[in-house]
Amino acid sequence: MSTHEFLLEVRCEEIPANALPGARAQLVEGFARELTEAGFGGVETRAYSTVRRLVVSVLGLPERQPDRDEEVTGPPVKAAYTGDGAPTQAAAGFAKALGISVEDLRVVKGPKGEVIAGTKHLIGRATAEVLAEVAPRVVAGLHFPKTMRWGSGEHAFVRPVHGVVALFGAGKLATQIPFELFGVASGTATVGHRVISPGRIELRAVRGFASYAEMLGHAGVVVDPAVRRERLEHGTQALAAEVGCEVRPDPGLVAEHVELVEYPGVIRGKIEARFLDLPEEVLITTLRHHQKCLVLTRDDQVAPYFLAVSDRKDDPQGVVKQGNEWVAGARLTDAAFFFAQDRKQPLSGQVTKLERVVFHQKLGSFAQKSALVGALAPKLAADAGVTTDAAVFARAATLLKADLSTAMVGEFPELQGVVGGIYAQRDGEPEQVWQAIRDQYTPAGLDGSIPRGDVGALLGVADRLDTLAGLFAVGEIPSGSRDPFALRRAALAIVRICAEFPLAVSLPLAVEQALTGRESFLKGDRTEVLAALRDFLLERERFYLTGAAGLSADVTEAVLAARWGVVPDDLARARVLQSVRQEPVFADLATAFKRVRNIVSKSGSGSLETKALEEPAERDLLAALGVVESKVGTALASADHGAAVRALAELAAPLDRFFTDVLVMCDDEALKAARLGLLARVEELFLRFADLSRLGA
Amino acid sequence: MDLQTLILTLSRFWGEHGCVVQQAYDLEVGAGTMHPETFLRVLGPEPYRVAYVQPSRRPADARFGENPFRLGKHLQLQVILKPSPADVQELYLASLHALGIDPAVHDVRFEEDNWESPTLGAWGVGWQVLLDGMEITQFTYFQQAGGQELKPISAEITYGLERIAMFLQRKNSIYEMTWNGELAYGKVRHQDEVELSRYAFDVADVEMLRRHFEDWERESGRCLECPEPLVVPALEAALKMSHLFNLLDARGAVAVTERVALIGRVRKLAVRCAKEYVVQRERLGFPLGRNGKKNGTSKPNGGSR
Repeated sequence: MSTHEFLLEVRCEEIPANALPGARAQLVEGFARELTEAGFGGVETRAYSTVRRLVVSVLGLPERQPDRDEEVTGPPVKAAYTGDGAPTQAAAGFAKALGISVEDLRVVKGPKGEVIAGTKHLIGRATAEVLAEVAPRVVAGLHFPKTMRWGSGEHAFVRPVHGVVALFGAGKLATQIPFELFGVASGTATVGHRVISPGRIELRAVRGFASYAEMLGHAGVVVDPAVRRERLEHGTQALAAEVGCEVRPDPGLVAEHVELVEYPGVIRGKIEARFLDLPEEVLITTLRHHQKCLVLTRDDQVAPYFLAVSDRKDDPQGVVKQGNEWVAGARLTDAAFFFAQDRKQPLSGQVTKLERVVFHQKLGSFAQKSALVGALAPKLAADAGVTTDAAVFARAATLLKADLSTAMVGEFPELQGVVGGIYAQRDGEPEQVWQAIRDQYTPAGLDGSIPRGDVGALLGVADRLDTLAGLFAVGEIPSGSRDPFALRRAALAIVRICAEFPLAVSLPLAVEQALTGRESFLKGDRTEVLAALRDFLLERERFYLTGAAGLSADVTEAVLAARWGVVPDDLARARVLQSVRQEPVFADLATAFKRVRNIVSKSGSGSLETKALEEPAERDLLAALGVVESKVGTALASADHGAAVRALAELAAPLDRFFTDVLVMCDDEALKAARLGLLARVEELFLRFADLSRLGA
Repeated sequence: MDLQTLILTLSRFWGEHGCVVQQAYDLEVGAGTMHPETFLRVLGPEPYRVAYVQPSRRPADARFGENPFRLGKHLQLQVILKPSPADVQELYLASLHALGIDPAVHDVRFEEDNWESPTLGAWGVGWQVLLDGMEITQFTYFQQAGGQELKPISAEITYGLERIAMFLQRKNSIYEMTWNGELAYGKVRHQDEVELSRYAFDVADVEMLRRHFEDWERESGRCLECPEPLVVPALEAALKMSHLFNLLDARGAVAVTERVALIGRVRKLAVRCAKEYVVQRERLGFPLGRNGKKNGTSKPNGGSR
């Protein structure tokens, strides 16, 4: 009967919040894998944790490990049997080792030819015995973002381990599973919350995980993160409602709060009214960044309260609330000081200091970067056909990175851009300018909104192109999971801005211009670096089209193979192609185009001597081609991709007739060249839209 | 509790727990970690426990005495427990109790905060200790120092004294916090904060600082090249370089391209000092014993593992 249960608790010093979700997932995965391998089917594994303990519960275990059959291969057939098929000594020995008779041996194909094989029957051991091996192996095998050593320095884990409880049983968990973990022997007792109930808690004969969780609950420890989350959410909402406010949503912070405590306590503190004059972003970031506080709002305005997590049930003397209010006040005073200090001069006063702010060790300062971005952006504007006020553009480029020298961004790096935008707005800079500064870091890859103005969009693209070109120039090219400068995200943001703003900038051209700006930093071959940059952007465009834009892979390939990099154009062509591809005429067209491509790629593009063409089918195709070329030209000029594709469809019938009636590879060399030339012109026309040969069935 | 009582209480507490109560290092340093009683003692196998107050200079953090929370020179109370005892967190909490901070009524939490010093080739893993939301202590298990993997591991506990005193006294400015119950911190220190800020930001002679950086670099190298390398003088020279670098940095004289290189030059010497120190201690037969075998310090609470 599979009614036994295993309970494991590993008690540590405070484990980092960011390590816990991964640890729980690995514990479940590790126990499930090891137990399955050991022949235990249908067990249910759950993992829990607090800031000071990792907990595993396995349900549905039998008392004994099930017996298992294991396939074992032995010596080659040649060595196992004599010429007349009698088993040799080798075969007999092999069978004996497996505990079976020679008659039960089979012949199977091994990697080096035929070998004999047999089934070994393994008698299951006591489950407790198996657990004593599995548990320490799984825990010691956990991967953490960072591990450490302690004391004598012999062991490495996320934090020092102080106690291990491992119990097994049916109903009452009466069996202690003995093993050692990092020099700590497993036992039967734990301790409660450090302050609420620090005493020893005997767990032997506890009635399963639910009872364990209840006992620890009485000792101030809520072991299930889901329960802590529920209580925190309930607690924060209740405290907000008491003062007629709502909790400003912050799922990332709440997820962290869940991992920071054993007991999910919340306290509400008051913010002094004078701090509400600070820019809202500054206020929120100060409380969030330093104090991990949630902010309350009333009618969408920040209200003068914050909520802080505390690892306590209560606050008997009010010191926790008082302390948190004092710290919040101190932090906000500090922020107000930075704000006042920064505001002693306009944002433009920070620009000269950018010479001392490093962009990248090998790529100089942000002063240099600003200059390069300022020079690149107007080129992009010209290419995209966007007319902008040159003075506004230049101003925004000059001020773009100025906030990196401010005290506020020095303190809160995550406010870069936002602070510059606020300061520029307060300085009375034009809206286009402060918006561009504020929006420069959005979107971050797929997250975040697109800049609102032309200037912001163009500078955002130029800034990221310069970053890509610069880092590629000095060999900082992402590979595999290594992308320390988040260049994939930057490239994706470029594609997104171009697609969604939209900006009809040619990316292959633009990135070349960006690389030219970084020429003096270039290490390695320019052609190779440029090719790598283009591939990188093309890859991100492909990712965007097939992902966020929801286009099929073959349509994306067909469109990008013809040409790529003017993202709005690529997107429009792909959307049209995706919408018409199911029509029968396009199936025919795709088949015909594949033939055209095959012939031209095999036999060359000949030379179109129209006088040589005499067959009606080829004369018709020539005539139709002239008409369609003109229609496609007009349609593409006005970006009417629907009309272009309709025009191309008009070639389906003439092409079909051509391939039925005309033999391209005829003996007459001149005629053959003329026919190849005709097809080459067809190919060229299609490729102005898409390479239909890439379409799947 | 005034600042002075805070210092006296913590010194007594750690003295009673087997620490040598040392004095601040008599050179300008950026942190208590640079004191040879930390930087050198954590190397090699010899157990050690020490506590001291270290005035720590960070010229770039100076604010002309105008910011109520920031100082160019602040006080750290630094404790090193080598090897880190199993009950190190309990010991630390007991030290708070000694300060009249009863964890039973406060919220004390240990939140991840790791530490790294590129200048010393050192890093560690640990927490910032939060008391009712206030960061009062940096708690670090040293993993590497002077580029060397450490074994045994030392626990470093660093109390930010002004912050704790301000918090306990609920003062809104460092300068209003009381030093000894009579004199405010500002009365004792405000003027030197103003002057040191002016010096670091506006007055320091860049040419001279650079020249001395080079001079002390050569001097440190010379000390290390002696037939029996002079480890402490070499480290002192490197520490002087570190402070000169900090002044140059505050002065705005460190170009972006040279920053890493300058730090690297100090680290190179710190790493050599660390290496030579271990060689020297080994030659002396590790006079303080090896971890767990022979131990010069007392072991209250049966702590060491």
